[in-house]
Amino acid sequence: MAEVEAVVAPGETIAELDVTRAWLIDPASGREGPGEIVVEEGRVGAVTWLDGTEADGIAPDGVIVAPGFVDLHAHFREPGFEQAETIATGSAAAAHGGFTTVCLMPNTRPAIDEAAVLVAVGQAAAASGSPVRVLAYGAVTHGRAGEELAALGELADAGAIGFSDDGSPVRSAGVLRNALLYAAMLDLPIVDHPEEQGLTGGAEANEGLVATVLGLKGWPAAAEAAAVARDIAVLADVVATEPRARLHLTHLSVAESIDLVRRAKAAGLPVTCDVTPHHLALTDEWIAGARRYAWQAEGVNPDPWRDRALVAGPFDTSLRVNPPLRRPADVMACLAGLRDGTVDAIATDHAPHTRVDKDVEFGLAANGISGIETALGLLLEAVAAGQVPLGRVIAALTVGPARILGSRLPAPIGLNEGAPADLMIFDAGDRWEVNETSLRSLGHNSPLLGRALPGRVLLTVAAGRVAYLDEADPDRD
Amino acid sequence: MSLTIEPAGTSAAEASLPAPRWRHRHLLDLDGLDWSEIEVLLRTAEDMRGVLARPIARVPALRGRTVTILFYEASTRTRVSFEVAAKNLSADVVNITASASSVSKGESLVDTVRTIESLGANMLVMRHATSGAPYLAAETFSGSVVNGGDGWHAHPSQGLLDLFTMRRHLGDLRGRKVAIVGDILHSRVARSNIWALTAAGAELWLCGPATLLRGFEAWAGSWRGTAGGPDGRKGFVVTSDLRAALRDADVVMTLRIQRERQAGGLLPSLREYAARFGITRERLRGARPDALVMHPGPMNEGVEIAPDVAVGSGSVISEQVRNGVAVRMAILHLLSGTLAGSTAPVEGTARG
Amino acid sequence: MSGRQIMTAEEIRRATIRISHEIVEKHAGTEGLALVGIQRRGVPLAGRIAAAIAEHEGVLLPVGALDITFYRDDLSLIAQQPLVKGTDLPFDLNGATIVLVDDVLYTGRTIRAAMDALIDFGRPRAIRLAVLVDRGHRELPIRADHVGKNVPTSREELVRVHLAETDGGDGVEIERPTPALAAAG
Repeated sequence: MAEVEAVVAPGETIAELDVTRAWLIDPASGREGPGEIVVEEGRVGAVTWLDGTEADGIAPDGVIVAPGFVDLHAHFREPGFEQAETIATGSAAAAHGGFTTVCLMPNTRPAIDEAAVLVAVGQAAAASGSPVRVLAYGAVTHGRAGEELAALGELADAGAIGFSDDGSPVRSAGVLRNALLYAAMLDLPIVDHPEEQGLTGGAEANEGLVATVLGLKGWPAAAEAAAVARDIAVLADVVATEPRARLHLTHLSVAESIDLVRRAKAAGLPVTCDVTPHHLALTDEWIAGARRYAWQAEGVNPDPWRDRALVAGPFDTSLRVNPPLRRPADVMACLAGLRDGTVDAIATDHAPHTRVDKDVEFGLAANGISGIETALGLLLEAVAAGQVPLGRVIAALTVGPARILGSRLPAPIGLNEGAPADLMIFDAGDRWEVNETSLRSLGHNSPLLGRALPGRVLLTVAAGRVAYLDEADPDRD
Repeated sequence: MSLTIEPAGTSAAEASLPAPRWRHRHLLDLDGLDWSEIEVLLRTAEDMRGVLARPIARVPALRGRTVTILFYEASTRTRVSFEVAAKNLSADVVNITASASSVSKGESLVDTVRTIESLGANMLVMRHATSGAPYLAAETFSGSVVNGGDGWHAHPSQGLLDLFTMRRHLGDLRGRKVAIVGDILHSRVARSNIWALTAAGAELWLCGPATLLRGFEAWAGSWRGTAGGPDGRKGFVVTSDLRAALRDADVVMTLRIQRERQAGGLLPSLREYAARFGITRERLRGARPDALVMHPGPMNEGVEIAPDVAVGSGSVISEQVRNGVAVRMAILHLLSGTLAGSTAPVEGTARG
Repeated sequence: MSGRQIMTAEEIRRATIRISHEIVEKHAGTEGLALVGIQRRGVPLAGRIAAAIAEHEGVLLPVGALDITFYRDDLSLIAQQPLVKGTDLPFDLNGATIVLVDDVLYTGRTIRAAMDALIDFGRPRAIRLAVLVDRGHRELPIRADHVGKNVPTSREELVRVHLAETDGGDGVEIERPTPALAAAG
């Protein structure tokens, strides 16, 4: 039985932490197994790996210690939409999800297209009192309008970790080409949201059986695959003259995209990608009222109507997201990409929205899922179902995104003796209910409300300070 | 579900069967109804036709109930049909059209429904341009919601009246060929007819230009598998071959083609549509000689249907309108039995 | 539930014949007379009375069936909408003397609904009422012209009429719900 003894106060430097007989995962060193960890005055004191009889009875089904997670893609809505989320509430939500570093997208109002906005975001993060590291992308184009390049150099100087017009794709291949070249000069990646908008005007749900039956305008897989193909072709063109160019494709969701990235990587192109937890578990069937995970619906011809899998009402707007939830086969392809390394990172695309924007007709609802707190739980469901090893999931939440951020990540990932503690502890054997009380985010737009997810986070420590503490059990032993 | 169709009025057989019950509070789609429930509705509609044939076509079944008709889309036919149906049942009727209400001031649907409820509505008939909107209303409204057409999704009363009309002429529809021709992709009528007609065991063909059929091949393919469709439904056929669709058809239903489809790049022109898919006397010769011709209206005569076909010998288009009132009376009557004050538990989910 | 028989098949037969005589006697003949059974068990009863009249008068009276589903005023009190059984009135009501036929007369609400329904089809010269059992407890000022049997009951009791045409055999029983059922229902 693992024991966690701690002398901690939220927001303060962690005074003392002693975890015995737990399961440690350290993707930086590639080690995973029974072990013990001690933290003193905010620094990792000792990491002990157990073996032989000492390790007996310790399995990855109880208390697990891992490095703090890094989210490559989140929306904290500040400035401009503070009723949906603020940097303070978003940071609290991140810590509840086990994340110690978040990378915010620049689609705020105003957009982060000049240094002053980026500086204001940094100030809000400092003022929040949360030790969660808040990093941010700058916009690729001015006002994210897809035409003139934003102040890329100034943004880089102010600490931008890359550039993205997320929410929209970088509109034209021409702009993308120039942006890749210019960002390469700054040694930063372009992060593209791949969507061929000529195929997605008015689109509501993944094109397929569910959208057809429900009369929703289809969002074809080809809209993503065509954009991925375009981006890769432009990257290949740029890399020929500028080898520092880097392209990251975010929230991939269809089998064809994964396959294109797999082939581009095999050809040696500097492309990376992430997928979201919801695209690794949920499917478009949920919009019809099914509540089964992709792997439960797998089969030659899954049809939630015929399978009598409809257990909830249809048209739940919390399921409306861009890119849309896809077919079970696409989810299985994303999981395969995660297993084989095609998918570098898991990013939440945490997109909180107010009730006003979600308690409306499906076709009028805002896109997005509030997902930073439910990421671990959904991924553990996939692990429990044998879809992906736990170590691979943790790597995709830590070292995977760290490699993409490179030197822009302030501290190395890992359970490193002597370094400031940056870790999270969760109980894989305990479930917690997702509801309006348990969520720290202001955005309650989650299709998982009312569901009990595995993997209760007990403690999150960022840069030696307590970011989240499970109040239900402060003196856990 | 059993697809057996019992002949009506055999009292001995009826007495031995457990009485089928209507348990839905809302009518939002036909995908949640099994055949026995559809039959209850059709039988009730038959009786409502009897009411309509009386010198005073009015009964007091909904006396003291208020039916609010909330239409966010222009429609004369369906709105008036529901209004006449409600009035024939002695309900008080309140009509709200989007342009005349605070909807145009940006009031949300949820607010509008709450207001309607506060004003004392017991039943809400709504039409909306967005698929699924009635489900949102049903989550808010404590009475019954009837979907009068939502986006491309469903038009359950139309599907039922089409089925009712076909059954009056053809009886048991098992093995009968029904061809629906036109803009299937954007048609809530087609979708509701798929659920209704496959439940009735008809051999259903959907036909139109490839751009207006997109996605339906996958739906048909799903039901073609060994497992078939939900509740043992047979699959249906999707084709752009009009001749094959019409061959030996017992029923030919055409759907309205909207001019926007041309602007949206889905069709070269309405003229070209008429030339390739318009139902003419000549083309109808491929169907059975006594084939029924149907159209949910309003018609573009000379585009999807030739004027002489619309009023020709097989046309039951006017009868569809009359049957629409009877079917909507049956819907309102059956739903009213599940309203507040009922002592039995009511299935109240939005699945309806 | 415990049932106690209050009418046998033979008693039902005799009551039906007696009512058939009373109807003709009260009307002083059969001219302009028609029978209308209320769905469901009033319909076969009306048929039996008509057959008895045919036997002793040699005249086959018109017989109709009336469904009162749309006319009930107690819909909010019943669990679900009853299925419509159908109305069939194959004769002109205007000027006719109509004898409504039902199995049990209780609160009077069914008869009130039946009269409303009937009047929507025309204007009879008179409406009379014949029932197999009158169990009392009227809530409306309605009485029967012809009664097979008056049965004193309490409100908790149920009167069950079985007829061969609808139930496979003739008989009338009175049932008292067990306390548990009474509490539940």
